[in-house]
Amino acid sequence: MYTCRERSSSYVNFGNKLMTSLKVTALCATAALLVTGSTAVAGQVMDDIKSSDELVCLVNPKSPGFSVPDSQGVFQGFNTDFCRMAAAAILGDASKADIRGIGFSDSMKTIVAGGAHMASRSITATGTRDADAGMAFVATTFYDGQGFMVPSALGVSSASQLSGATVCAEDGSTTLLTLADWFGDHKIEYRVENIADKTARLEAFFSGKCDVYASDITALNSDRLLSDTPDAFTILPEVISAEPLTLVTQPDQDLEAAVFWAFQVMLNADKYDITSENIDAITADISAQPKAVRRMFAQDGATADMATKLGLPADWAYQVVKQVGSYGEVFDHHLGAETPFKLDRANSVNADFADGGLMYAYPIR
Amino acid sequence: MIPPRLPPPDRKILPVWDIFATAVVVLLIAFAVNNVITNMSLAGATPGFGFLWQNAGFDVSEALIPYSPENGYYRVIIVGLLNTLLLAVVSLVLATALGLLIGLMAVGPSPIGRIAASGYVEVFRNLPKLLILLILFVTAVNELPHVRSAVGFGGFYLSNRSLYFPTLVFTPQIWGVLASMGGAILLALLMQSRLKQHRIKTGKALPMLGACVPCVLLLPVLGAWVLDVQWVWSLPEFAGFDYKGGLRLSLQFIVIALTLGLYHGAQIGEVIRGGIEAVPSGQGEAAQALGLSRGQALRLIILPQVVRIILPSMSNQYVNLIKNTSVAIAVGYADLMSVAGTIINQSFRPLEMMLITMGMYLVICLSVTMMLNRMNERLRLAQH
Repeated sequence: MYTCRERSSSYVNFGNKLMTSLKVTALCATAALLVTGSTAVAGQVMDDIKSSDELVCLVNPKSPGFSVPDSQGVFQGFNTDFCRMAAAAILGDASKADIRGIGFSDSMKTIVAGGAHMASRSITATGTRDADAGMAFVATTFYDGQGFMVPSALGVSSASQLSGATVCAEDGSTTLLTLADWFGDHKIEYRVENIADKTARLEAFFSGKCDVYASDITALNSDRLLSDTPDAFTILPEVISAEPLTLVTQPDQDLEAAVFWAFQVMLNADKYDITSENIDAITADISAQPKAVRRMFAQDGATADMATKLGLPADWAYQVVKQVGSYGEVFDHHLGAETPFKLDRANSVNADFADGGLMYAYPIR
Repeated sequence: MIPPRLPPPDRKILPVWDIFATAVVVLLIAFAVNNVITNMSLAGATPGFGFLWQNAGFDVSEALIPYSPENGYYRVIIVGLLNTLLLAVVSLVLATALGLLIGLMAVGPSPIGRIAASGYVEVFRNLPKLLILLILFVTAVNELPHVRSAVGFGGFYLSNRSLYFPTLVFTPQIWGVLASMGGAILLALLMQSRLKQHRIKTGKALPMLGACVPCVLLLPVLGAWVLDVQWVWSLPEFAGFDYKGGLRLSLQFIVIALTLGLYHGAQIGEVIRGGIEAVPSGQGEAAQALGLSRGQALRLIILPQVVRIILPSMSNQYVNLIKNTSVAIAVGYADLMSVAGTIINQSFRPLEMMLITMGMYLVICLSVTMMLNRMNERLRLAQH
């Protein structure tokens, strides 16, 4: 008893991550022991969301641009908006998303144990993970790739010059596997330091304990801003992995469909230049719109039919765009030219398909 | 006066409550195990340990045995286990040495020593270890020099990455030196028992150190000379990004060992202080009246009694320290918890990996407890 109390009290005070780790372990154990049969039954998780009138959604607790708490302690960011998207589509109110910050390692365990309805936290979809019965990969919101960041003073211009370097990476992530693959394939010697605590990890890199920081390119972009001298660091040109960062839900056919199609509404809105600003003007003059737009937002459109089948509010597509916005709107708002990250979506793989990107809006009909 | 013994508990009363409680516990366990198996098969997962032989696919920061990502998960688990054990042993020694020092200072004659000891104890007993660890780590990485400007002293180099030091290249001839060293130690042990007999017979203590140190030192030197050993040193040398050659102790290892040493040193210090204060002061006075010096009284009269008193709390401290090595994950030391976490994320076998990890910690902690319990039993015989 003494041990248990002593250990947990120190975790409560410091190290959010370890505290959650502890909670999750307990949660996992309880879930494994007590919950009866949790196979993917259509609608079960969806019913739970509706009856509790809130959608529990996991995000990264500290990822500038993607999810960080603002001065009021409310999470803001690109990933956060997909939690709000799901709440707007299912509950008709984006603010009904109960957004919780959680470490990477524990987020998937929490989903599997039934501790959250979905996660929007830059989780890479992989075969093994998707094969697990406890979670479903639903829609890729961001195409990323793993890269390297080095101090500019090191004078390195390509990852092939990194022989003998020490690389810092997040504990427990796919980053470690990708590193081992890439350095192994290129027969380059390296050392890895996988540090779980983000502050410790970044301090280790900024102070030069590690020569290289490896993570997804976008994470490198945002983590760089946490340094006192962001310009002193360079991101190397090599992209060594495919990282389709994907929304994860508990397995439930209705929930998966709702989240997937809500995301397609955001892509379609982007394609037709519909935003949260102009949506009211569009719906006010719905008969003058292209047919695809009418199917999305008219009262007798395809989305209304989907609403009855999936058990969503009739105007779910309107609510998603009105309360959250189109994909491009959300992207620019959190990551675009006006933000410190200055990501150029038009020239990236996250551009619309028509502009040569991978964001391909499925037909809503 | 020996107090009268309590009568043995009455065995005739039917232990209804014992039986009831046991039945409840057994039923709960059976229910849980059954549920896990049922639910896992419902979810399409078959519990099993076959995955341990799949490729691990990830690197670790430090390993005591050769390891590459091509090896199976089982091997990286052993790597993590050995790292945990190394960390535990080093931290145990540090914490015990520090605790002994603090305990002695706390009851010592010097007021400054007493104040310093109680100040140290209060600070480190009242801070969470994770905070101590993060403060030490962040300070160390920022204050120690970068690897390119590492400070060197006699083949040793210290940077905010690692402590690098020279190591002897193991040539076959060194076996001969080691053998002669073993022989010397054996000889010393033999001599010690002879000297003890001599002291029992005559009451005179012969200088043990004076006789033994030369022979322990001389024999290996003689062995090395006879075998004409070539001493080959591997020296750390800076090349490219890092030092090559020699051995290294990573900064995180040093920082975690220091954290656990400081944190548990404070608690062990308190245990030892309590133990010393529990020995009646008459014992020390009597020892001095018999002509023993202060040091002898401490070593021969007080400490043996202290050890007997503190053993139960010490085993508690040791077990806590061993489990607390798991904070290592925060600063990137590849201990058992760290590799287990990575394996769970890659293989998605949380139940199996948690069982393995739990089993390993259980075995380590139980062995330590059993060892200390046996010591306790042996010491208790002397006490009536």
